[in-house]
Amino acid sequence: MKAVTDPAALLMKRVLRLLRWRLWIQEKLQPTEWQATLLWAALAGFLGALASLVFSGLAEGVHGFFGRANVDVVDSMRQLPWWGRLIVPTAGGACAGLVLLFGQRLTRAQSSTDYMEAIVIGNGHVPIRASLVKSTAALFSIGSGGSIGREGPMVQLAAMLASLVGRWRLFTPPQLRLIVACGASAGIASAYNAPIAGSFFVAEIILGTIAMESLGPLAVSAVVATLTVRVLTAAHVLYRVPAFQLNSPWEMGPYVVLGLIAGSMAPWFLSSLKQAEKFFVSLRLPIVARLALGGLAVGVMAINVPQVAGNGYSVVVDILNGRLFWVALIGIFACKWLATMASFGSGAPGGVFTPSLFVGASTGFLFGTLVHAVWPVAALDPRAFALVGMGAFLSAASHAPVMAVILLFEMTLSYDIILPLMLCSVVAYYTSRGIASTSLYSESLKKKAQSADSSPPFAETRVADLTRAKPPVVLENARFADIAKTFFGVRVTNLYVVDREGKFLGAVSLHDIKPYLGEPDLAELVIARDILHEDFPRVAPEQSLAEALGKFLGVVAERLPVVEADGTLRGSLAKGDLLLALVERRKALSP
Amino acid sequence: MNSPLDLIAQPDALALDLRATTGAEAVRALHARLGTAGGAVTDPARLLVDLTERMTLSTVCIADDIALPHARTAAVSRLVLAIGRTTSEVAFDAEHSRVRLVFLVGTPKAAVADYLQLVAGLSRFLNHTATRAALLAAADEVEFRAVLARRSKK
Repeated sequence: MKAVTDPAALLMKRVLRLLRWRLWIQEKLQPTEWQATLLWAALAGFLGALASLVFSGLAEGVHGFFGRANVDVVDSMRQLPWWGRLIVPTAGGACAGLVLLFGQRLTRAQSSTDYMEAIVIGNGHVPIRASLVKSTAALFSIGSGGSIGREGPMVQLAAMLASLVGRWRLFTPPQLRLIVACGASAGIASAYNAPIAGSFFVAEIILGTIAMESLGPLAVSAVVATLTVRVLTAAHVLYRVPAFQLNSPWEMGPYVVLGLIAGSMAPWFLSSLKQAEKFFVSLRLPIVARLALGGLAVGVMAINVPQVAGNGYSVVVDILNGRLFWVALIGIFACKWLATMASFGSGAPGGVFTPSLFVGASTGFLFGTLVHAVWPVAALDPRAFALVGMGAFLSAASHAPVMAVILLFEMTLSYDIILPLMLCSVVAYYTSRGIASTSLYSESLKKKAQSADSSPPFAETRVADLTRAKPPVVLENARFADIAKTFFGVRVTNLYVVDREGKFLGAVSLHDIKPYLGEPDLAELVIARDILHEDFPRVAPEQSLAEALGKFLGVVAERLPVVEADGTLRGSLAKGDLLLALVERRKALSP
Repeated sequence: MNSPLDLIAQPDALALDLRATTGAEAVRALHARLGTAGGAVTDPARLLVDLTERMTLSTVCIADDIALPHARTAAVSRLVLAIGRTTSEVAFDAEHSRVRLVFLVGTPKAAVADYLQLVAGLSRFLNHTATRAALLAAADEVEFRAVLARRSKK
């Protein structure tokens, strides 16, 4: 026999046997597309954590330049003379404005896509220069004591890096949007040391779904980000609080009332921010002057109430640990609200997530103190009401009660308070939704969606929009050995067979050939045409996603060929892309 | 038939006196002996066309003296096998000029796994020098079938 005597055949025999083993190992160890997505999500989480840490470090550096590096923003402001408290936020605002002004030249050709826009109404592209300019400006507004949160730029940077990873790997739009969402999840998880809330923040607020197709990668990204932060820094529970507990069932009554109050106040808070924004725009000031004016307003209040500076974190810690008297808190509460309006309204880059926590904590503490005064048994510890108030207000402002409850739990690790926290958050959520349909994040997205030239990219998505070009193919006369080698080089279970004109003829299944990889005589005898499945399902570029999904039923394939009407193979459609697009579409169509 | 491999011991047609000088002639002659294989070949003309077309795409020989013309075709309703032995050496193609044993396989379009099983089984069966020698030396059809039955069970 030729196979025994011919050295070439002997070599082929060995190669095929080797291939058989390597394919077996590859099949057992090589990740599926979903597993690969998890790996990319982990990378996005790692990079997101690094971005957050770098941003935090730089913000501390800017803070050190404007004040004292080793103390927080509030203490730093306290140590300044009165004129210093005026100058620092004003100068910080002016610097932020200058960065945005000069940054406009660099970003003229880029859209102003932020991460939420990129995920919800965009194609997953988060522009690099625009993100860097915005984040640099945020360093000044945050570092100089602006009443604004730092989580916004951290999430933006994390999402930008994730977008870069996706673009480098040539992800399809649904994949790219998912990886950007993973970046955002990593950003939140790093900022608050809260991996579960990071995942749910993105799932509940941005994606609007907790489908496992998206929640899995979000969770992986958030876990990796949190681990990275914990390894590289001395990360700890964000809010160290005493052990709160539900002292009496009677307390549930006041907690329900607190839910109603927080739910009513949240739309008011959001509306006040919007009014402030309108006011600053109506002044028609240049951007530098506008941000400087916002900083000046914060500075004026900081002369007497330095607690207005910063995102409100240290004040919340003081409230939760009973270091603030309720009379003082009333003044701080009012000034902080106004300061946040000034910073946010003037356009200072940053977030209002942490300031929202302050409003909730203050509201809860003041309400708890009032209840305690008139009915002590119903509110034994007003600080517990502060904690629950944080969750309730966040739930009402963000319209994301699950995320709010989880975030509060992760930030405080105080499980004993979970029952009133859940009840109060849900009551606040429904109360808020009953008053206004807009949330902390929905308003800007709605505006951007309306101003976008085109309709949402997935509203009328067809197979053509999700098609991946250049799928692995073999010619109809490709030999068995070549088919095996091709299978080895690519991560597919079906190889498409085409003729010389590129017309699709069918598919060869790895499952079919696997048992025969040890048969050297087949290497030359069998060709692709002998073993192709001509009836392999295929989709047309113009088909709808629902039609395409139907084609996946009853076939063991992660991808289907996309074939033009004239039979030309145009590319392939991945089941993962299709499911992601369908999840997005369901979200887009939901009221 | 429980397994495609059972066909080796019980082929649909057996011809030990094929006269041909080319591969095409040998296939035509064996195809004629196969006929309709008791109804399994639903379109004999189509089967011949498909076999011939397949031979133009790539070699169908697995050794200097063995050819395995085969086609996946709509012309058969089940796997069919015809085995032939030529009276003299046949130049099947440019690289195989001493072919004596011809195994003609027709496979329904959907039966990819059966096809691979049969072809791999035939390759293994014919891999033994003694088997090939016994098939070539068999004095008549009865002896030939006996070799097929005996050796295919090993």
